[in-house]
Amino acid sequence: MDKIRLNVLPSPTFGQLGVNFAERAVGELPSDKIWLEGGCTDITGDAVCSIAAQNGQTVNIIQFINTDKAAHIKTEINAEKYASVSLVQVFACQAPLISQLETKLDENASFDLSQLYIGGLDTVSEIRTTLGGRLSRFNADIAYTLGTGSKLDINLIADHYGKKSVSEINVGGVLNEGSDKVFKGTIDFKSGASGAKGHEKEDVLLAGDNIRNRIVPVILCAEEDVEGSHGATSGRIDDDQIFYMRSRGIPDEQILNILARAKLARVIGKIDDEQVKQRIFKALGWGDLDD
Amino acid sequence: MSELLKITNLSVKAEDKELLHNVDLIIDEGETHVLMGQNGAGKSTLGCTIMGSPEYTVTGGNIYFDGEDITEETADKRAKRGIFLSFQNPVEIPGVTLSEFLRNSLEQLTGSKMKIWDFKKKLHAAMDVLGMDRAYADRELNVGFSGGEKKKAEILQLLMLKPKLAILDETDSGLDVDAVKTVSKGIEEYRKASNGTLLIITHNAKILESLTVDKTHILADGKNAKDGGGELAFRVLENGFGEVL
Amino acid sequence: MSEKTQINDIDRSLYDFRFDEDESDRFTSGITPEIISEISKEKNDPEWMSEFRQKCLRIYEKTPMVKWGASIEGLDVDNIVTYIRPKSRMNKDWDSVPDNIKETFERLGIPQAERESLAGVGAQYDSELVYHNVRSEVAKSGVVYTDIESAMHDPKYAEMIRTHFMKLVPPTDHKFAALHGAVWSGGSFVYVPKGVHLDIPLQSYFRLNAKGAGQFEHTLIILEEDSYLHFIEGCSAPKYYEAGLHAGCVELYVAKGAKLRYSTIENWSKNMYNLNTKRAIVEEGGKIEWVSGSFGSHVSYLYPMSILNGRGASAEFTGITFAGKGQNLDTGTKVVHNAPDTSSYINTKSISKSGGISTFRSSVVVNKNAEGSKSSVSCESLMLDDISRSDTIPAIDIKTDKCDVGHEAKIGRISDEALFYLTSRGLSEEDARAMIVRGFADNVSKELPLEYAVEMNNLIGLEMKGNVG
Repeated sequence: MDKIRLNVLPSPTFGQLGVNFAERAVGELPSDKIWLEGGCTDITGDAVCSIAAQNGQTVNIIQFINTDKAAHIKTEINAEKYASVSLVQVFACQAPLISQLETKLDENASFDLSQLYIGGLDTVSEIRTTLGGRLSRFNADIAYTLGTGSKLDINLIADHYGKKSVSEINVGGVLNEGSDKVFKGTIDFKSGASGAKGHEKEDVLLAGDNIRNRIVPVILCAEEDVEGSHGATSGRIDDDQIFYMRSRGIPDEQILNILARAKLARVIGKIDDEQVKQRIFKALGWGDLDD
Repeated sequence: MSELLKITNLSVKAEDKELLHNVDLIIDEGETHVLMGQNGAGKSTLGCTIMGSPEYTVTGGNIYFDGEDITEETADKRAKRGIFLSFQNPVEIPGVTLSEFLRNSLEQLTGSKMKIWDFKKKLHAAMDVLGMDRAYADRELNVGFSGGEKKKAEILQLLMLKPKLAILDETDSGLDVDAVKTVSKGIEEYRKASNGTLLIITHNAKILESLTVDKTHILADGKNAKDGGGELAFRVLENGFGEVL
Repeated sequence: MSEKTQINDIDRSLYDFRFDEDESDRFTSGITPEIISEISKEKNDPEWMSEFRQKCLRIYEKTPMVKWGASIEGLDVDNIVTYIRPKSRMNKDWDSVPDNIKETFERLGIPQAERESLAGVGAQYDSELVYHNVRSEVAKSGVVYTDIESAMHDPKYAEMIRTHFMKLVPPTDHKFAALHGAVWSGGSFVYVPKGVHLDIPLQSYFRLNAKGAGQFEHTLIILEEDSYLHFIEGCSAPKYYEAGLHAGCVELYVAKGAKLRYSTIENWSKNMYNLNTKRAIVEEGGKIEWVSGSFGSHVSYLYPMSILNGRGASAEFTGITFAGKGQNLDTGTKVVHNAPDTSSYINTKSISKSGGISTFRSSVVVNKNAEGSKSSVSCESLMLDDISRSDTIPAIDIKTDKCDVGHEAKIGRISDEALFYLTSRGLSEEDARAMIVRGFADNVSKELPLEYAVEMNNLIGLEMKGNVG
């Protein structure tokens, strides 16, 4: 298998930071496409998935990615005019994984993406969304909890071509001892995308030694009439929060748990499938949580 | 008395929606007029259109000031003619101090450079009328100002720039009793010092108490609904629009 | 005099921030070892410096060309005469400076500025320092402000130069650092003894005048414990048709408890390639403050770097970049937190107009040993039309959980409401836009001494002329 560059940052920066690309061995993908039309699909190995939402159609899909061997998964989405796609991706594997998600949005189409990364060994995840049509919308809610030896590299790119297209990206997670995360988020306002808006935010809770947390929030802009912002915070639990919870009788070891859960609960709360939720709780080791 | 402002048959739209339909308005020099109407009646639209806001497009009719057609003029030219708008929500301009801005504006309107010392003296005098802390002069324009402070800063500009026509767009809204008093004092001072002409957009009787209102105009759904004398304004304030319309 | 040897001890990888390089894109240069020897001879280099220059040339030839966002294709290094020497020696007395050179400086207002408020002026005309003076009271306090060439031969400072020169920016850093090491000429050496606070700023004014000439000045500033200095660097060059190159190097050593403010207003002509390298190392409780305004040059790569190397050291970076027609300005800053309780604060603005490209690029690294550190980055971009470009590319790399890092960025344009408000008070649209832009740049102008703030505001006014969109 040849090594190729994945997760290429559209605008390379200082090489020393190791954020310009992720080099991984990539094999051949299966030639058969799996057409997803709704509900929850389990993915346990290499796969190419396709989602097609026609004019005005609403499609709700859950992918539960759970493999015990190295895998490469590609998902393509095409949303026609006024179509609305909601995709939940749950990553719960203990093997190297490459995930590529490519979405095209036509006029007034909307794409609501929720991603949950639970542990993982070496996950390389690329999310590329083309907001091609006027008034197209992209909403991404991404959460992760990484433990010892977990490595996660996310490269999200929102290309704004359509006038008044909107992207809203929210990322949050917990880095436990010995984990390594890269989040690269690029909002790219192409010339002609007047009235477009793009906002991006990441909040990282640092909860252990020997971590590495890299954040690269990029805005590229070739259009005057746009509104763009990004923000990022990275730190330990806020002292005020600790004091507040202590004053309510919560012991310190619980405080971290509660806040870490809160980071994930935001995304889990969006999942409208009790069975999937139960599986997520199990994967998280929250088995008997009466959430 | 001569006509200072004359609006004939004015229609205005914003983003494909027509907001004013065939509105007429005449204000003579030295008079005080009150413009009333329910929310969305088009009062602010009219005020902003007289000032030349690019947000609104005139689709029909004309605006004359001092006998000249200014319908197509940009806001800075209208300001130079002597029109002033006290904004309902004055915008924040980071990095530009109130005094730097005012001096610039004054020099534009008078067309002559001003000595910094003369300017400071004038500015301090005006600030004293409004009981404003002189430190405000060096603060960034409207940045972090409270609602009341913003309105006071607008009246300060009114006193400094001495326009022929001042349009006050709800300058008294959201202010406490003391702040309304201060603003009223500023308006009185403007009337006294410059024999200025006023068009006041308000929902509040307090600000009118110390003024002699000459005429009242009521707008409804973007049209002239009723015109009357000064007493009409007070009737509306007491009994609501239902009784007069 | 105490030597700062810890420079050699810190991990080289800390500041070897290389550009991404492409091996296939090497190029040869017309610069030969003989040319370098001539420079050494002409400048009467001590032996170690002659050897150092030759070593740098070898590194230069081995190092691939920089590959980056902004294109430097228009730059033909072979054709840039690297060493142009005006017909004058160093002068302490303004009257003995040749007339044509004096005129240029008079026009720039340098001596007036010196007389009025500045402690010393080092003006660089092409490659040699032609005029140098430090007011007597400054000199009496033990502060040294001279050129590096003289300092190398002064027994008091020779060793100090040797142990600090290109130790912070090694010639292996990137191709233009190597070129700089080989052909450097002129610049400033400043030494501030322990506990000395200079209340008035020192200033240097660089100017590139010869057609197609390169400028490779070196600035070396050493602050001893608990001292304070404000150093101002201003740059400009008249316009010629051939592309000029500026590959200067600034090395700043800030000892325990010392504070250095380094201000630059750069207005190179719009055909200049500005590939400057600036770096500071800050020890315990010390502070570096960068104030940077980039207005000129055709292409800029400029990322002043702060290495926070002692407990409680801090860095502040306040910058503005204004990219107009034909300009591609890639600017920003780099910070390495390499000790506990260090802090950095970065606040930048950038403006793009008439097809100009401005890129804000930053890197904040918090090392494992930097427990208790804090960093905050804020950048704001203003687009003045739809033919320009503005990119924001920050990167954060955190290796300890015991730190707090925040970042925020915004991009937008001048709002219609703000324009209407200002024009309704009588300002023309052009003036209103200029006023808003000046306000936007206020974070930098209020950090500058008055005459520089005025110069910067004039530059903005000039850039905004006729810009009604």
